[in-house]
Amino acid sequence: MSSIQNKIKQSLETNFSAEYVDIVNESHKHQGHAGDNGTGESHFHVTLVSNDFENKNRVARHRMIYEALDNLLECSIHALSLSLLTPEEYNSKK
Amino acid sequence: MTNIISERIQNDINNNDVVLYMKGTATFPQCGFSSAVVQVLEHIGIDFKDINVLEDDEIREGIKEFTNWPTIPQLYVKGEFVGGCDIIREMFDNGELLQLLEDKGLVAA
Repeated sequence: MSSIQNKIKQSLETNFSAEYVDIVNESHKHQGHAGDNGTGESHFHVTLVSNDFENKNRVARHRMIYEALDNLLECSIHALSLSLLTPEEYNSKK
Repeated sequence: MTNIISERIQNDINNNDVVLYMKGTATFPQCGFSSAVVQVLEHIGIDFKDINVLEDDEIREGIKEFTNWPTIPQLYVKGEFVGGCDIIREMFDNGELLQLLEDKGLVAA
């Protein structure tokens, strides 16, 4: 796992009671596009399943993540795509 | 963010039913995420005002602060922030976006 990926994971696990975390580095899909900083660690997709999202709308859930990853977003990550689910929603999707 | 910038944003979202803050323009998006939202809106067939943040650094930074949202694109409907690319795609996939636009009287039910 890349270092940025690790930092995202650590930060999410510290800030959320996570039932499931998955972080996929999608930077290769964006190679040479705007925002590709050449490190191969610019674009990520995060799936996070947590009870913390209970009764929170989509915008609120995303803001919780942005807040938790503030520093990383500011400096290292160009794009972060998010799937944020409660355990109940996650299970009903399976 | 200066008052002038926040007033400009407020005016734009008040005076246009659907506003998309994006990188590039609706006809020439310059980012995959902005492009994805344009495609959704065009598929639904709704008119929207595109605001190219790449043309104006003050708006680019200002809209992030205004919405308290760190990324572009950002979609506003009837003055309310709806979401960025992930949220719009999710809402399109499950029909919520169309429902919202119907509820706001912007597309025929």
